[in-house]
Amino acid sequence: MKRNLLLLNIIFGILFSNISLYSQTQENIWFDGFSSSYFTRDAIDKSDKEDTLSARNVSNGYSLLDLNIHINPIKEIEIFSQLRIRNSFGSFFGSGTEVNVRQLRAKGVINNKIRFSVGDLFLKQSKFTLYNYDEELLSYENDIINPYRDIIHYENFYTENRWRLQGVQADFSYEFDRYIRGLDFDFFVTRPIGSRQINETTYSSDILLSGGSIISQINKQLLFSGNYINLFEPGASGTKNISIRNPVHDISLIYSFDKEKYHIQQKLQTGFSKRFWLHSELENGILDSTSNRTQGMFFELDNKYSKKDSTLSLSLGYRYVDPNFRSAGAQTRRLDYNNVNSIYPNYTNMSLIRPPSIFDLLSDNIWYNQEISSTLMLFNPIYSNILPYGEATPNRSGIYLNANANNINKQFIAKINVGYFSEVIGQGTDDKRNFSLLKGSLKVNFDRLLNWKKELSFYISSKSEISARSGGELSSLKLFSNHINALVNAELVNKFFIQSSYNMFVANGNEFITQRDNYGNITYFTKTQIDQKEHVVSTGMMYKFRKNVYANLNYNWWGMKFSDLPYNDYKYNRIVLILSVEL
Amino acid sequence: MKIKIKLIIFLSLLCLIHSCTKKGFEGPSIEILYGDFELIEPLIITNKNPSFSNSEQVAFHCEFNKPTQWKISIVGLTTNATKEITGFSNLIDSNLIKWNGSPSQVPFFSEEVCTIELTFENEIDTLRDTISIVSPKTYENGVWIENFDDGLPENSLVYYNNDGGGMTFFVANDEPLLGDSYFKMGGRVNWDWSLGNIDIPLEINNVSFSSENLYINIGILSDLQDLHTGQFINILISEETDTPFNDDPNNNASDLFESTMEVYKMKVPVDWNGWKMKSFRYSDFEPISPNNPDINFNMNPSDIRAIRISCQACPSSAGNPICPENFGKDVRTDIDHIVFTTNSNIFQQ
Repeated sequence: MKRNLLLLNIIFGILFSNISLYSQTQENIWFDGFSSSYFTRDAIDKSDKEDTLSARNVSNGYSLLDLNIHINPIKEIEIFSQLRIRNSFGSFFGSGTEVNVRQLRAKGVINNKIRFSVGDLFLKQSKFTLYNYDEELLSYENDIINPYRDIIHYENFYTENRWRLQGVQADFSYEFDRYIRGLDFDFFVTRPIGSRQINETTYSSDILLSGGSIISQINKQLLFSGNYINLFEPGASGTKNISIRNPVHDISLIYSFDKEKYHIQQKLQTGFSKRFWLHSELENGILDSTSNRTQGMFFELDNKYSKKDSTLSLSLGYRYVDPNFRSAGAQTRRLDYNNVNSIYPNYTNMSLIRPPSIFDLLSDNIWYNQEISSTLMLFNPIYSNILPYGEATPNRSGIYLNANANNINKQFIAKINVGYFSEVIGQGTDDKRNFSLLKGSLKVNFDRLLNWKKELSFYISSKSEISARSGGELSSLKLFSNHINALVNAELVNKFFIQSSYNMFVANGNEFITQRDNYGNITYFTKTQIDQKEHVVSTGMMYKFRKNVYANLNYNWWGMKFSDLPYNDYKYNRIVLILSVEL
Repeated sequence: MKIKIKLIIFLSLLCLIHSCTKKGFEGPSIEILYGDFELIEPLIITNKNPSFSNSEQVAFHCEFNKPTQWKISIVGLTTNATKEITGFSNLIDSNLIKWNGSPSQVPFFSEEVCTIELTFENEIDTLRDTISIVSPKTYENGVWIENFDDGLPENSLVYYNNDGGGMTFFVANDEPLLGDSYFKMGGRVNWDWSLGNIDIPLEINNVSFSSENLYINIGILSDLQDLHTGQFINILISEETDTPFNDDPNNNASDLFESTMEVYKMKVPVDWNGWKMKSFRYSDFEPISPNNPDINFNMNPSDIRAIRISCQACPSSAGNPICPENFGKDVRTDIDHIVFTTNSNIFQQ
């Protein structure tokens, strides 16, 4: 009887929760969720006469509702499911309408001591073991482009640099009254990629990711943490007799202390990784063996100084990551360059594949990846050559400085990020690349400066990367890239904003793109000449109903220009409407 | 003082770690990759008098200083048959790079002298040699084969439009692809697309391979003079197991190709001059009646009962000028050597 009532509750909840659906709380079941409408119309710029084969303009869009259902059958357990109803624009009588379960999870507490979760998990450890690094081009503020970013992050489950994985997780903690203050444990086992059929008789193995963390607050000033993670393939889940193993260990010691006006934190972190492929269950009784074995370590010393009134924070550190350090959980990239654009994938009358621009990378979901990769993924040196795999980028050694400063009323907010790195070992030559990174941004809140009630702000940022390698005529290189972003945001009437932004990306020089085989070994260096200039000019308006509920309409002019290269320039325009409602 | 000591220790530690660079380099040398091309070991051919009919192979070995796009071209001096083997590496490994006597496309090699040329992309170096084929490769080892050398296949049925002109639906031996004979399919039907077809019963029972691993290879001879537009052959394969091949003896066609049966089709446009060997994976065939809910389309090579090869072309006459460019022309879609192979097509066997 009780079960039937519960079912009736769910059915009525779904059927009668129309557009005005809001978060509601009942004793055993409650709802929240997210709804959005997205419409774009892309057009080839009128000045572009070199493409008469593609449609002059293309429309696209969808509406979706993600309904989160939380059920508490008992106080200690919550069942969570996210149902998605998505309707592509232009579909009719249900064609193009998708209904699916997007997330499913059960979590609870056993005996008030051990917390557990089963199903969809969002996991993160240290930056060298399991960490979903931000994509390149993200580290600046732009309220016109941000709705694209929000959609991409939401669609790919990118939250707080966590990877979305499916499996089981448990954690528990102890408190002590002598020697150490506390001890926290966390364990998980997940399956990032399931077994797949390769051909009629061959199946790949499951790829599993398991790990654990231990954190100990030794005393008020000293914190110790250790992480272990292992990516592996259990051979029995497939028919191949070769399977990967990639265990990574790391430990860190954090020492922090407070003075009257500032806080200092010093962190020492180190660890090592192994990766190899195991050949097992071989024919004719041949013993198990390993191949492509690599092992490497990393080391980082980070010193943070922050004023207690939050007006200044400085971080100065040194990092060394061995060329053979491999950590699938930390080195998997969000941007996957093994794709083609979904907006005008071909251009010119020769139907060439259109190279992606910053606008594509910022707005097109097709470039984004959700799967942990066991080998280093391809990256584009134009957009990120210094730290393409975040701080876990192998073959880097160098110092960095990060600074955030603002005045007490936050009228001026400035950020600086500087780094100087070099390779630990050369690639294709004894000479090593040197990298210089200079990133800075300044936001001026005129409304605070002039004591206005309505918001008026100006933001500008610049990021430059310089990569250089000396040596012979054939192997020397120099690559420069610079990304400038400027935004004006003005609140005309209450909650109604007018926004304009300008993005410019310039890259020139030469580089060698590294090609690797299936086991990550370098096989070739493809010489590339780079000389391109990209632009995205945007203007639009936004109405913020409340936090996380907004309507955004804007127009983008974007394109790419190549100099002295065998590519054709392109220019496109887009009008986009986004209605985003967090229920 | 204490702070100074700490600072000195810290800076010394940093210098020590920073000096942890490694000698040598990762990957192949850029100086070699983009430097001058050099031959390290010459082209070696393991078998200069191959007897391909006895399953002998010719292996190639060569080594050079950098990964390069290379191509081995083999040309038969009598038949002009050609075979190309390409790769990208700095080593042509005789354990991997082997030739079994097949061409890249028809004509086939015969007993003849062949020139061998190894070339490298963007390099002027060319290595040359010759071999002499003692006995050519035979193509009689498929899971099912029909070469028309013994006339029409047993129990096969031939149908063609009797009202057409110059209809050539018979076995001929003037210019076969392989062996002595081939099956001519052609003529002129001014008012209709369909000219005729040949239906052949077949059974390949007790096989374990799937439709993904079965290849249908067929030699097709197109017009030498009257090249038609809209000219094609349809290959139909029937998996109807309940009906006899010739259930109704009053017609000249098999009864296994009805629209209510499990039949698969491959349409092959024929628009070239001379013989060509075409190969298709069975799983790429399409159901002939995909919307019929009463048919369970579940491809299974062991259920194949018959094959139909039909000849069609765009008609043209004064009263029916759909393709006026075909007016007065005869259709020719002759066939030879229908071979079912497993795992790969006939050239890769």
